[in-house]
Amino acid sequence: MAWYHRLLNMARADRHSRDLDREMAFHLDERADALRATGMNEDDATREARRRFGNRTAQKERTHDADVFAWMESLVADVRYALRTLIASPGFALVAILSLALGIGANTAIFSLTDALVLKSLPVSHPEQLVQVTMGARGGSGFTNPLWEQIRDNAPALSSAFAYSDTRFNLSRGGEVQMTRGAWVSGDFFSTLGVRAEAGRVLQRGDDFRGCPGVAAVSDAFARRQYGDPTNAVGKVLSLNDHPFPVVGVADAGFFGIEVGQTADIYVPLCAQELLFRPGILDARSRWFLNIIGRPKPSLSTQQASAAMATVAAGIFKATLPTDWSTDNQQEYLKNTLSVVPAATGLSELRAQYGRALYILMVVVGVVLLIACANIANLLLARGAARQREISIRMAIGAGRGRLVRQLLTESVLLSLLGAALGVVFAHWATRLLVGLLTTRRQAVWLDLSVDGRVLAFTAAVAVGTAVLFGLIPAWRATRVDPQAAMKSGGRGVVGGDGHHRLGKSLVVLQVALSLALVTAAALLLGSFRKLTQVNPGFDRSGVLLVAADFTHARTGTEQQLIAERQLLDGLQAIPGARAVGSSLFTPISGSGWNDFVLVNAAKRPEKGKRQTIPWFNQVSAGYFHTMGMTLVAGRDIAPTDGPTTPLVAVVDEAIVHQYFTSVSPLGQTFRTPVGDTTSAPVTIVGVVETAKYRSLTEDSPGTIYLPFGQGDGGGTANVAYELRANGSPTTLIPAVKAAAAQLSPGITLDFTTLSDQLSASLARPRVLATLSGFFGALALLLAMIGLYGTISYDVTRRRNEIGVRIALGAVGARVVRMVIGDAGRLILLGIALGLALAFATTRFVSSFLFGLTATDPTTMVLAALALGLVAIGAALVPAWRAARVDPMDALREE
Amino acid sequence: MTRQKNDILQGTLALLVLRTLSVRGALHGYAITQHIQQGSADLLRVEEGSLYPALHRMEQDGWVRGKWGTTEKNRQARFYSLTAVGKRQLAHEEDSWARLTDGVARVLRFA
Repeated sequence: MAWYHRLLNMARADRHSRDLDREMAFHLDERADALRATGMNEDDATREARRRFGNRTAQKERTHDADVFAWMESLVADVRYALRTLIASPGFALVAILSLALGIGANTAIFSLTDALVLKSLPVSHPEQLVQVTMGARGGSGFTNPLWEQIRDNAPALSSAFAYSDTRFNLSRGGEVQMTRGAWVSGDFFSTLGVRAEAGRVLQRGDDFRGCPGVAAVSDAFARRQYGDPTNAVGKVLSLNDHPFPVVGVADAGFFGIEVGQTADIYVPLCAQELLFRPGILDARSRWFLNIIGRPKPSLSTQQASAAMATVAAGIFKATLPTDWSTDNQQEYLKNTLSVVPAATGLSELRAQYGRALYILMVVVGVVLLIACANIANLLLARGAARQREISIRMAIGAGRGRLVRQLLTESVLLSLLGAALGVVFAHWATRLLVGLLTTRRQAVWLDLSVDGRVLAFTAAVAVGTAVLFGLIPAWRATRVDPQAAMKSGGRGVVGGDGHHRLGKSLVVLQVALSLALVTAAALLLGSFRKLTQVNPGFDRSGVLLVAADFTHARTGTEQQLIAERQLLDGLQAIPGARAVGSSLFTPISGSGWNDFVLVNAAKRPEKGKRQTIPWFNQVSAGYFHTMGMTLVAGRDIAPTDGPTTPLVAVVDEAIVHQYFTSVSPLGQTFRTPVGDTTSAPVTIVGVVETAKYRSLTEDSPGTIYLPFGQGDGGGTANVAYELRANGSPTTLIPAVKAAAAQLSPGITLDFTTLSDQLSASLARPRVLATLSGFFGALALLLAMIGLYGTISYDVTRRRNEIGVRIALGAVGARVVRMVIGDAGRLILLGIALGLALAFATTRFVSSFLFGLTATDPTTMVLAALALGLVAIGAALVPAWRAARVDPMDALREE
Repeated sequence: MTRQKNDILQGTLALLVLRTLSVRGALHGYAITQHIQQGSADLLRVEEGSLYPALHRMEQDGWVRGKWGTTEKNRQARFYSLTAVGKRQLAHEEDSWARLTDGVARVLRFA
C-alpha cells in the first residue's frame, strides 16, 4: 500500500488495531458458525475455530507489520524509551548533554570559521571557473598596470579578466580621517564576476579609460549604512580623498568583494588613480599592486591556460621593461613567465595568516571532544552495569542482542543530537566572538558566517560519530550478559564487573594522556606569546601617540610640502603635554618599509651572486630618537639643519656597525646606494643609535639607516608620520594635534593610533592562538579531571565491601587513602608517560607558531606534566578521603 | 508432516489467493479460505490466520484492494478484489508454477 497509507496506519494506531481485530473476529465468527452448523456445541465450535486460526496474536502482529513501516515504528519506540530513561536520570543527562554541547559546539565553531575563511567559494557566478594570473609557478601575484594592460589585450587563454587592488579611501575632507575599505578595479570587474546591481548600475568597461572623470559603485552594506536604502545611493557624490566621485549604483546584496576576510565598500575604476595620485602613475613600471583574475576560455583546462599564458609572457615583459633599472635587474625581469592558478576561493590576506592556525585549532577542539566522549563512555559503562537486570530480563523474553544494542545506541544518538543542537547555538555565539578576537584596529575582519550545508553536514556527522564512539562499546558491554546469572544474584554488580572497569580505567589513562598533550601545546603557545610581549623593541613603546599625516590636499605646492611638514612639527612641539616630538617616514611595526642595497667604501657595484644583506632605511627628523627613547651611542643626532641642500649624512644603528665597521669607527665613513647601473653620491655617517625593530617584533633587524628628510629619495613625500611622547595618556593629545594641523592647513588629513597599540596589533595571531589554546587546554584538563574523579569514585564505591573489611581488620584511614591514591597514581603516571610521548610526537606541528621556544622545550613539558599530575592527585583525593571514612559495619551489612 | 505442507503452501499462497479472487471476484478473508480448502478438496489445509499477513502484504504490493463491506448476514467484513497489477501478477505466478511443476515432474520421471 502507498507510503502515505502506511504513515496513516502508524498515526492512527488504535484505529488500525481495532480494524485488524474486527477483520479477524469476523473470520473466527464465521468459522464458529460453520462448525456449529455441523453439530458442534457453542464452546467446542469457538475453540476449534480458534485452533484452526492459529496464533491470533502472532498473526495480528505480522499483519500489522505489513501495514506500516516496521523500522520507523521501532525507531519511534526506541526514541520514546530513550527519552524516558534520560528524563529518569536528569543528572546524567544534563552532564552528558552539556559536555557534548561544549565539545560539539567548539568543533562546529572552528569548522564554521574554517569554512568561511578557507573553503567557501566566492558569492559570484561560477566561482570554480575563476583563475588568478601569477608570475611563474611560485611567482608573485602582484602586477604593474602596464603589465595588466598588456595581459588584458594579449592573453589568448582568458575569455574575460579584470585587475583588482584593495585600498582604503578617506571619506572626510580634512581633519581626522574616516577611512573606508575600497578597491581599484578595471572596467570588466563586475561583468567577469557576473555580479549585478541592485540599484543603478555597476562599473562597466566604459567607465575605465585614460582621463576618466571618476565614478564609484558601492556595496549594499555601505549604501545602507550611509544612505539608509540602496536606491538612495544612486546619484549621491562621495568625497574620496577629497575628490568628488558620483555613485552610479549599488552592487548586489550578497556580494562582499573578492577578498575573504574583509568587505570592500567602494569600487573605483583604475583610471581614476590619475586623479587621486598623479598623472602618469598608471604608466609606472615598478609599481606592483594589481591582482589579475579571469576566466579561461571554456575549452581550456587550467594547465592549458597556464601554458598558453607562458607563451605570450616573453613578449609582454619585453614591452613593459622598466628602463631605469640596472641591467642585471632588467635581465631578471625579462626571465619572468606567466601562469594561472585556481581562484575559486578568492584572495585572502587573512587566510594566509590564519589558515594553518585554524587547522591546528581544529585538532585541538577535536581532542577536547574526544576527552568529553571518553567521559560519557565511562558514564554509560557504569549505567550499563546498573541496568544488568533490566537487560537480562529483556534478553530472556527474547530480545536479540542486536536489537538491544540498537536501542542503547538510540539513547546515545539522542544524547548526541540534543548536545549538537545546543552546541550549534553555542557555536553561533562563539564564532562571532572568535571573529572579534581576530579583528584589530587596522584589519577589521568580516566573514560570511552564514550556516551552509557544509557546516550542518559537519555537525551532524560529528554528532553521529561521537554517539557511535562513546555509545557502541558500552552498549556492547551492557548486552554481554548471561540472563540467568544476572537475575539470580539480584544484580549486585557481579556480572561484567572487573572487565568493564578495566576499560573504564584505560579510558581515564587515555584522557590524561590527551589532556597532557593539549596542555603542553597550550603552554608552549602561551609561553611563546609571553616571550613576544617581552621582546625589547629597541625603543620605549609606552605613551607615544602616532599621527599619520597626509599633506596631499594641504594646498601647499609640492616643493613647499617639506616646509609645511617641518612647520607642523614645530607646531606640535608647542603643545603642552607633549614631552617630546619627532617625525619619520615610517613608524616601527607598521607593515610598510623601505630597504635598499648598501655599498660601503666601494665606488662600484658588488659582483653578482654575492650574498647581500639589505638594510632598512627611514627618514627621520631631529628629535625622533629622543621621542622614541632610543639612545644615541656615538656621534650626533640628525639636526634640524640637515636637509635637501646640506651635505648627505646618515645615522646608522649598532647592527650596521657590527656588520660593516667592526674594526674601525663608523663615524666619518661613507656608503653609497645603487642607482640604476651606477651609484649614488657618498653619504657620511655622523651618528650611531641603538638597534630597534623595524618590520616585526620577531625578526632580527639587518640594520637600519636613518636619513634626514629631504635627502636620499630625490623628492618629497606627502605622507609623514609624527610621534608625540605624552606625559600621561597619548590619546589626550589628539585634540591639540588636530588643532595644530587645522591651523596650518585644513586639508591635512590625520590618522591616529598609539605605538603600543600598533605593536600589539602585530601580535594578533599569536595572541589568538595563545588565548584559544589556553582556553581549550584548560577545558580539556577540567574534563579529564572530571573523568578521573568519576572513575576513582566509582571504583571506591565498587570496592566498599573490600575497604570495609580492611578497615575492620585494622587498616588506618591513612593507609586506605594511600591505597586509593596509589591505584589512582598508577593510572595518572601511565597517562602522563603516554601524554609526554604524544606531546613529543605532535608539538612539532605548532613549531612554526613558536617564538623563543622549541617544540620540545623540556622546561615547559616538565612543568605541564607536574601541573597535571598535581591536579590529578587532587582530583583523586576526594574519593580517597571518602574511602577512608567508610564505616565497616555499614559496608559489610550491605551484603 | 503438516508443517512441511504448510511451508510449500505459504509460498504458493499468493498464487492461490490471486486465482481465487480472479475467479470469484471480491471476497472476504474467510470466504477465500473456504474456497481454497473446498477447491482443493480439503487437500490444502492452511493455518487460517496466516492468510491475513499475506493478504495485507499483497495489498501493500498493490495486487489486491481491500474495502470494508457488509455480508448477507449483516456482519462487517473486509472484502478484497483483484487489481490490474494483481491480474498481471497472477499470470506471472501461474507461469512460474507451471514451469516449477513441469521441471519437478520431469526430474521425477527421469530418475
